[in-house]
Amino acid sequence: MGEHKLILGKDIYFWNFIVLMIFTLFEVGAVFFEEWPGTDIPISLYTVWGILIVVGIVKGFGIGAFFMHLWDDPRIYLRVALFPTIFVLLMLWGIGLSNPEGVTGLPGWCTPNWDSLVTER
Amino acid sequence: MGGGGASDVKNTVWVRALMMAGLIFGLAVVSYVGLGIVVANVKHQDYAESIDAYDEKNDAYVSLGLQITNLENQSENLDPGNVSADVEPYNALSEQISEVKAEQKAAKKAKDDAHHHEVEAHLSYLTYRVAGLTILFVGIIYTAFLVISGLLNSSQPDEHHDDHHGGHDEHEHHGSASPIILSFGCLLFLLGFPDFADGLHGLMMGSTKGSVGDLSVSMVGLTVVTAGIANWWREDLPFKGYGEQIATSEPFQGHHIRKAGIWVFLMSEVMVFATFFSAYLRMRTEWCTFWAFKENLIAGTTVDGCVTQDHVNDYNAGATVEALWPSALGDLTASDYLRPGGAVGTGDFWTMLPGAVNTFALIISSYTIVLALKVAKTHDYKAPTGVFGKLMPTKKAAIRNYLIITLALGTMFIVLKLVEWSHLIAEGFTIGTEQGSIFYVATGAHGVHVFAGLLIMLYMVFKADTVEWDEENAQGIEYFGLYWHFVDLAWVVIFPAFYLY
Repeated sequence: MGEHKLILGKDIYFWNFIVLMIFTLFEVGAVFFEEWPGTDIPISLYTVWGILIVVGIVKGFGIGAFFMHLWDDPRIYLRVALFPTIFVLLMLWGIGLSNPEGVTGLPGWCTPNWDSLVTER
Repeated sequence: MGGGGASDVKNTVWVRALMMAGLIFGLAVVSYVGLGIVVANVKHQDYAESIDAYDEKNDAYVSLGLQITNLENQSENLDPGNVSADVEPYNALSEQISEVKAEQKAAKKAKDDAHHHEVEAHLSYLTYRVAGLTILFVGIIYTAFLVISGLLNSSQPDEHHDDHHGGHDEHEHHGSASPIILSFGCLLFLLGFPDFADGLHGLMMGSTKGSVGDLSVSMVGLTVVTAGIANWWREDLPFKGYGEQIATSEPFQGHHIRKAGIWVFLMSEVMVFATFFSAYLRMRTEWCTFWAFKENLIAGTTVDGCVTQDHVNDYNAGATVEALWPSALGDLTASDYLRPGGAVGTGDFWTMLPGAVNTFALIISSYTIVLALKVAKTHDYKAPTGVFGKLMPTKKAAIRNYLIITLALGTMFIVLKLVEWSHLIAEGFTIGTEQGSIFYVATGAHGVHVFAGLLIMLYMVFKADTVEWDEENAQGIEYFGLYWHFVDLAWVVIFPAFYLY
């Protein structure tokens, strides 16, 4: 269990909690500020999106790995936790394919190159 | 308590349940009277005054408009273009019209300010009224939960409490039918939910015709849920950690069945929330949101039903995104009302605050339940120094108080969520739109999970105060903690997706 690993006299739960709090501040701050603090440079919407995704991944990892003990627990629990990822990815794929722009709007790397299969006359 | 006889546990359970229920009910009533009646009435008075003030300013504005129309009509008759017209009265009239128009401009600003104040006063009133009512409602459910379960537990035969007083059987079966009863109750409740919602709405609107019958299936479901919870409580309360069922086959061989079960349950929950999330993403790709409008406009891309070539041309000619947005007739999401820079323009620090506070509340509550587990697993508890030492003088007090903090934070989450919903509904963001529908269903489903967790937490606080948690039965906190962390994890996704994006 994480309480036996001490960093600066505090266990991993404490540091995980601090990291989660700091990253949540980043998350709220990214949306709250329309310009980088102290500058006139606007924060683009894609930057905000990037920050939200990165913060979400870090927070998800912190909660799953340390608060839910997946870091130390037997690997079977990690496998169970990751199992639905397959379905989540399938859902995301479905979102892409069912989008009206899915036929023409998706980047080339996620659409099959059907043209190469066309019989040339 | 742990060291007492079986009947001692039984009597303590009943008395403690009543004491705790009384305390919670008292706190809820005091909070309701303070927030929901006293403060809310003061705020309602402000709101009523602000409505009168707005009506007054609006009347003044409308009256000036009529005055201008009359003057303009008179002015047309005195037009110098007309041969018989006199120039001097015409000029005087024109001057008068200009003056009244200036007055009208000032009146419009006063009217807009009054409207803004009226909206602020209404939202302020809603904050206290909804907070008070929510605390009362939650308090009544907590009280009923404690009283019903305490009563059922006190009728438990003595021998059922006896598995931890020596001579326990290491291989004792600890399985329970309660989860199946609970699930069946949930099934019935959800089957009857559409009629239940209609019936409840009818009753709230004062109509009783057919309404009570509409409630029946869901009420039976809720009764079965209550029986399942009470039975679960009755079975688990005396459990001191002996006889935990161990899996005998792969892939969980050697592990606690309860732990494997909670993980499989959580994964089914992942699927539930993934469904909401993917439905939201799928719908969002079709919505003409302010974000989509702005991004496409800046990129110069036209989008059917959203960004037209005229928009792009106007933008290239110097028009701002904000000026062009209303003509797009775009779709408003919850974040447009809540975040600064949102399309509605009402978002600021204060509208973001409930969601942000709730995010921190869930993270802190995840940490406090970890601390409760850590203390429960400690063999030699040492009270901390200072204020914390006074709050957590003994191991029992420390576990109980960490769980109470978790319970309080979770309750605050529910209160703030309903306050936030009431504000959104008051501002016109209702469940009647696609954007509102997925928002209220997804955040509501999450709220229901939080509330279910709070009822279990209440039981855990109760157990901490009676039977006590220790190294032997701490897995109960650990397994519930997994659920609670999952609820936090779901919020990690919901908060940015629905509130910030």
